[in-house]
Amino acid sequence: MLKRRAIDPTLAFGLIFAILFVAIAIVYPLVRVLGTAFEPAAGPYFERFLLRPTFQTIIGRTVVLGLTVGLAGTLLGFLWAFVQARVAAPAWLKRVLHLIALVPSVSPPFAVAISMIVLFGRRGMISYGLFGIEGNVYGLPGMTVVMALSFFPVVYLTMVGLMRALDPAMEEASANLGGSKVRTFLRVTMPMLLPGLASSFLLLFVEAIADLGNPLTIGGDYVVLSARLFIAISGEYDLLAAAVLAVILIVPALGVYLVQKYFADRASVVSVTGKPAGSVALVTDWRVRWPLLALNVFIAAFIALVYVTMIAGAFTRLLGIDNSFTLNNFSYVLSGLGSEAMLDTTRLSAYSTVIAGFLGMLIAFLVVRMKFFGKGLLDFGTMLGIAVPGTIFGIGYLLAFNDPTRVAGFTLIPKLTGGQALLAGELAIIMVFIVRSTPAGLRAGVAALQQIDPSLEEASVSLGANRAVTFGRITLPLIRPAFLSGLVYAFARSMTTISAVIFLTTPETKIMTQQIYAETDAGRFGNAFAYIVILIGIVLLVIALLQTFIGLATGAERRVKSEN
Amino acid sequence: MNTQTSSRLIALAAGAALALTACGPGAAAPAATSAPAKPTKLTVLCTVTEDWCVAQTKAFEAKTGIKTTFTRLSSGEAATKLKATASNPEYSVWWGGPADGFVQAKGDGTLAAYKSPNAAKIPDKAKDPDGFWTGVYVGALGFCSNKVELDKLGLQPPTSWDDLLNPKLKGKFSVAHPATSGTSYTMVWTQVVLRGGEDKAFEFLTKLHPQVSQYTKSGAAPAQAVGRAEAVVGVVFSHDCVAAVDAGFKDVVVSFAKEGTGYEIGAMGLVKGAPEEAAAKMWIDWALTAEAQEIGPTAKAYQLPTNPDAKVSDRSVKLSSVNLIDYDFVKAGQAKKGITTKFEEAIAAQPK
Repeated sequence: MLKRRAIDPTLAFGLIFAILFVAIAIVYPLVRVLGTAFEPAAGPYFERFLLRPTFQTIIGRTVVLGLTVGLAGTLLGFLWAFVQARVAAPAWLKRVLHLIALVPSVSPPFAVAISMIVLFGRRGMISYGLFGIEGNVYGLPGMTVVMALSFFPVVYLTMVGLMRALDPAMEEASANLGGSKVRTFLRVTMPMLLPGLASSFLLLFVEAIADLGNPLTIGGDYVVLSARLFIAISGEYDLLAAAVLAVILIVPALGVYLVQKYFADRASVVSVTGKPAGSVALVTDWRVRWPLLALNVFIAAFIALVYVTMIAGAFTRLLGIDNSFTLNNFSYVLSGLGSEAMLDTTRLSAYSTVIAGFLGMLIAFLVVRMKFFGKGLLDFGTMLGIAVPGTIFGIGYLLAFNDPTRVAGFTLIPKLTGGQALLAGELAIIMVFIVRSTPAGLRAGVAALQQIDPSLEEASVSLGANRAVTFGRITLPLIRPAFLSGLVYAFARSMTTISAVIFLTTPETKIMTQQIYAETDAGRFGNAFAYIVILIGIVLLVIALLQTFIGLATGAERRVKSEN
Repeated sequence: MNTQTSSRLIALAAGAALALTACGPGAAAPAATSAPAKPTKLTVLCTVTEDWCVAQTKAFEAKTGIKTTFTRLSSGEAATKLKATASNPEYSVWWGGPADGFVQAKGDGTLAAYKSPNAAKIPDKAKDPDGFWTGVYVGALGFCSNKVELDKLGLQPPTSWDDLLNPKLKGKFSVAHPATSGTSYTMVWTQVVLRGGEDKAFEFLTKLHPQVSQYTKSGAAPAQAVGRAEAVVGVVFSHDCVAAVDAGFKDVVVSFAKEGTGYEIGAMGLVKGAPEEAAAKMWIDWALTAEAQEIGPTAKAYQLPTNPDAKVSDRSVKLSSVNLIDYDFVKAGQAKKGITTKFEEAIAAQPK
């Protein structure tokens, strides 16, 4: 009985809030970017950017980077998921591999890049120290490795979910009909996974072309659109040029994202076919099992090494040059500026986590359960927050909120960005954090709600509770796992993002990722590592707290389920 | 907005107090004590190393009790930031970075004139005749090399700009991006002067491009890359190279171009429409004193002071031993925007 209800007054407030948020924090800044880019004065810029060979090279490179990262990251995620779901291995090993795969998702994306310079640079501790090779991490290959390692966890999590949800009956049928294992895999299993793989590939493509931290850190002469955009703002402060570049970047990012969504929807059809009927036959043939396990363990060790390097680097004077133990990096980071940035970032991330967590569930609830005009638009508008590269939001906010928005002499929105802005620019940063992290919660919420029969909510309503009470007391507890994952994602994302906020920090409000980037660029890797270690520590601590307080019952439910 | 309004109110109150003073001495006494509104807050746009920014602002805060915050930005970024926020400035004083950037900012109309009484001591060459900027330190551009790595390549520390084009240094040379870094722009303008024009300079920079591993954002960064042997040679201000030695990179050595090298006058200026103008002027007065100019070396910043009374660290460069070119800051500053844009398009984005 998926009968959608008309909105009652208690939920109208929630709906209005959601619509206002999407309109002001997401759509309006993007409209300003488009508006600026299509001003008559911007015409020559399009000509300059699209017709000159230099810029065609930049666009070409951006696409190539998206493709290589998409390919490498998808392969990596697939390998990880396949080993988890389909290969016979000791439980503890799988657990360790699983945890290692999650580490990159709680660290700033360019953290890996710094470790790579120390380990595999010209005088890298491994490349030169062990093998005497002069490594070169600057450029396309280095960026591909770093980004694939940084972004693959999302592919892994998607793919492992898909593989576990596959109905083994199909494979059994193939085997019963005489199909060999290889044939079954290629002709039965793979076609079912293909939409998921395609969607993962495209998602990584978007992530790669949107990333800013890595191109700035190890891009070398491989200049991509996002890095060029950064120079346009930071070196030239040419907002017109930046807006035009932003539009050029939006086209592939949004286009690919929409294609990705198409594949993702097809993939999820597979995942909701119901509980597996039988148990999956795990791969036990050593000719397949050993190479896969060995490869997976090797890459996992590599990731572990990258992160151990960060910890080691945080506690040494100059890792690779003077390896004596020191706490100076931490005392530098924790005194003055660093501690301010740390507290500010944590505080702002916490605010936005709470808001994004509820907002995601609220919009999910409205979209799945309610009937109102413009529902699709609300969903799509929210998703723009992740489909559009973060740098573009940065520019959009500068364009939209650097001056107060006045309508007929009445200040509608005060100045939100830059110094002297409302709350020292904190509001703009919180808004961007929410914009970037709500989509994940929304998707998780939608997926969860679609699997919960509305009859429970209807019972609550017919017993006299209004819609808002029902949402808070019945729906939210039921979709707690989705709510929790939305919160965890929102916090991790807010703490580690750089592209969207690098243009929005003010003298009073500093953000950790930006400080890390500044230390990295200045070559003070010890300080950067200390920052990263602290940042990862905060994220892990908060995730643990969230899981303890919100996840308690969830864990119990899961245990009950697994016992059934 | 708020602080501006309130400072305007205070100014009004001060004006009223002065008017009262004129009326009669009796009435003035209570008003006069409340009149000189003591500034409480200062926001500095800082273009030296983070360490020095911290040391300098802390010293000012300790001396005056004015809460001083700063943002560190590279020179090019700082100039663009001022331009971007000109309608509603967030910084009151811009301190540090080559004078070229200040000349550019003066042209942009983002600086205000302020002739500090303490500026009388500063040599004429190191200050703007109209008072838009005043020099606080001097530094010479140098080569920063890793001795051990040079030995492995069988090379000596470079003594000429053309030494940088040695094929053995391909991919092993490091310098910042002139659009963001004043250091790097000083190098570019040095080539313009030495080679007689922009075209010749760009010929050189085009040949230099394949040698570069990564154009960094901040000017001092190559010194660290050289220390870490990520690069073998870098171009930085020589004091940044000395600071790298202090940071623990023992293999790093400084050398200079014999045909001539550029130098910077690190400047500061009052921001036009500064929200904390009174505090900013106090900063400018103070930053020109010998006491303030001796803070640098405590934060591993070995620039030469512009105040002749300030003690010179023995780790600072002896300018008499370096062949300095005739560096015209005004010309360099005026040409800056055109040159950096051209660099980004004609060089930085080119494949090697």
